[in-house]
Amino acid sequence: MGALLTVDDLRVDIATPRGTLRAVRGLTFSVNAGETLCIVGESGCGKSMTSLALMDLLPRVAKRSAATLNFADTDLSDRRKARRIRGNQMAMIFQEPMTALNPAFPIGDQLTEAYLHHKGGSRAAARARAVEMLDLVGIGSPAERLGQYPHQLSGGLRQRVMIAMALMTDPKLLIADEPTTALDVTIQAQILRLLRDLQQKLGIAVIFITHDLGLVSRIADRVMVMYAGAMVEEGTAAQIFGAPRHPYTQALIECIPQPGRTARGTPLGTIPGVVPSLVGQIEGCVFRSRCPLARRECESHVPTRGAEGHRWVCVDDAPAPALEGTTR
Amino acid sequence: MLIYILKRLGLAVLVALCVSVLAFALLRVQGNAASALAGEGASAEDIAIIIRTHGLDRPVVVQYLTWLANVLQGDLGTSYFFKRPVAELIVSKIGNTVILAIMSLAIALTLAVPLGVLAAVYSGSWIDRICSGISLLGQALPSFFLALCLVMLFAIHLRLLPASGAQTWQHFILPAVTLGYYITPPFMRLVRAGMIDALSNDYVRTARAKGIPSHKVVLKHALRNALVPVVGLVTVQLGLLIGGSVVIESIFALDGLGYLAYQSIGYRDFPVLQAVVLLLSLVYVVLTLLSDVVNAWLDPRLRVS
Ligand SMILES: Nc1ncnc2c1ncn2[C@@H]1O[C@H](COP(=O)(O)OP(=O)(O)OP(=O)(O)O)[C@@H](O)[C@H]1O
Ligand SMILES: [Mg+2]
Repeated sequence: MGALLTVDDLRVDIATPRGTLRAVRGLTFSVNAGETLCIVGESGCGKSMTSLALMDLLPRVAKRSAATLNFADTDLSDRRKARRIRGNQMAMIFQEPMTALNPAFPIGDQLTEAYLHHKGGSRAAARARAVEMLDLVGIGSPAERLGQYPHQLSGGLRQRVMIAMALMTDPKLLIADEPTTALDVTIQAQILRLLRDLQQKLGIAVIFITHDLGLVSRIADRVMVMYAGAMVEEGTAAQIFGAPRHPYTQALIECIPQPGRTARGTPLGTIPGVVPSLVGQIEGCVFRSRCPLARRECESHVPTRGAEGHRWVCVDDAPAPALEGTTR
Repeated sequence: MLIYILKRLGLAVLVALCVSVLAFALLRVQGNAASALAGEGASAEDIAIIIRTHGLDRPVVVQYLTWLANVLQGDLGTSYFFKRPVAELIVSKIGNTVILAIMSLAIALTLAVPLGVLAAVYSGSWIDRICSGISLLGQALPSFFLALCLVMLFAIHLRLLPASGAQTWQHFILPAVTLGYYITPPFMRLVRAGMIDALSNDYVRTARAKGIPSHKVVLKHALRNALVPVVGLVTVQLGLLIGGSVVIESIFALDGLGYLAYQSIGYRDFPVLQAVVLLLSLVYVVLTLLSDVVNAWLDPRLRVS
């Protein structure tokens, strides 16, 4: 199975008054057709910038560069070609369903827009497709919904509409940037299940972005852990959860509250220390300022190690397994 | 939507009634109405006759209702100064003013919307500065000066357009351009600010994510939302314009409502003044109603309340 999306050395630089903020620092990864890749990391580590860079939706202050940016044999750095793929073969849903839909237009209009633009055809055909998609994402009486406005829908429904909208053009890749973060827990679980079901039913590839490693175990085929704009570890879900190699990944896993393992009343885990400033270069390992195992070698170049699709960036080939107690 | 409009309509009628009370009061509080009606040097007897014939001895409420009934039938009294029915006087002037107002507004909007959109899309760049500059100039130039420049160029030098009067539609071009350009800056600023705000919204990013062309994202998704506050300003400006621009109407000898109001103040011609006040207030009531309806169409969230 060839890679659907190939990204090599992706960088996003943001001009700020304090200097160039390097939000994404040379990411290399790929997504195969039909698989779910989860990108995980703390707030501010560059997950959104990565997804926006793929969609060419970065804010004006942010500049993108990449050695390779390929989607199904199309070079995405060619903006003209990329525009034909964006919203067509590659769709995106966002964190905030309350503001992601335009308040001024009925959802039927917003649903059919991309379809009419990319696929052409009659308005009636597009509306029929919209009804089909609303039904697919589990919205009742879909035909009547087309005339409704976003403010008439709840947050969970709006996110379903967003998903239906993304699926209108039958994309090969769906990028979901924290699609459940703004929803309450029961709705969160529903949307997550919906995404997983759709992914299996339609066989689309999904890049699922979250800061919640707990969600990842429920949907991921592969996981990429990001820290301070860089990849620190990547592997299959089994590798990441079963045998995490990077101290940061291990710390993140420690932080997931687990019924039975996390005692009632104990504070939820946090990783001590602060994230380094993203302005300018970071020499050596990006995580070393918070790493319990940090030592001299970490200050110079750190190799990317790997075996069988499992990659991690660390001076240690196999960090000490016992990190218990380093998180509080 | 219909219920919303009916509610607004009810409110508008209520406001109109309040306005009529105020307008009625205007004529009564100006001192002694009877002696004003009788004119200078009238005898006590004359005044007594006037009080009786005009029903000034009856209760105020009855007077008001009689007056209101007359107004509703188009009888606005007789001008002290022109000695003509006020209704006739106003009808003869209002046409010019309304044409001028609508033409000026159309010119202002055709200038302000594209300039505002361009300035917002390229905010901070030289395009923004040029667009803002063009509109600022409209504010800095006194309108009489621009009027004189336009007359010199187009009427005297090029002989393309008439310099004064109101006989044909060409007569309205120069005053409308002057007035239109003069009211452009607030519109342009509002469009620019509204567009900058709209463009930073998540729904614009969603629209971009669909891969539809940028111009459609800007002109459909952002502009539609940015226009809501502009409608309010249109209402206010149109009201002001129909109130008449004394300066422009004088310069271009465009005999309109503004000039009439100006005269009626000078001559203490209260029936005319009363009619003008009543008319303008009603214009505002109607315009506000219209802008509510237009806004409800632009922004569906407003339809519920
Ligand atoms: N417009 C901007 N101007 C300056 N810096 C920005 C801007 N947008 C993002 N950043 C910075 O870029 C970095 C990466 O941001 P990004 O939004 O990708 O984080 P994230 O991983 O998505 O976090 P979150 O979980 O909070 O969504 C952050 O440090 C942020 O401060
Ligand atoms: Mg984010």
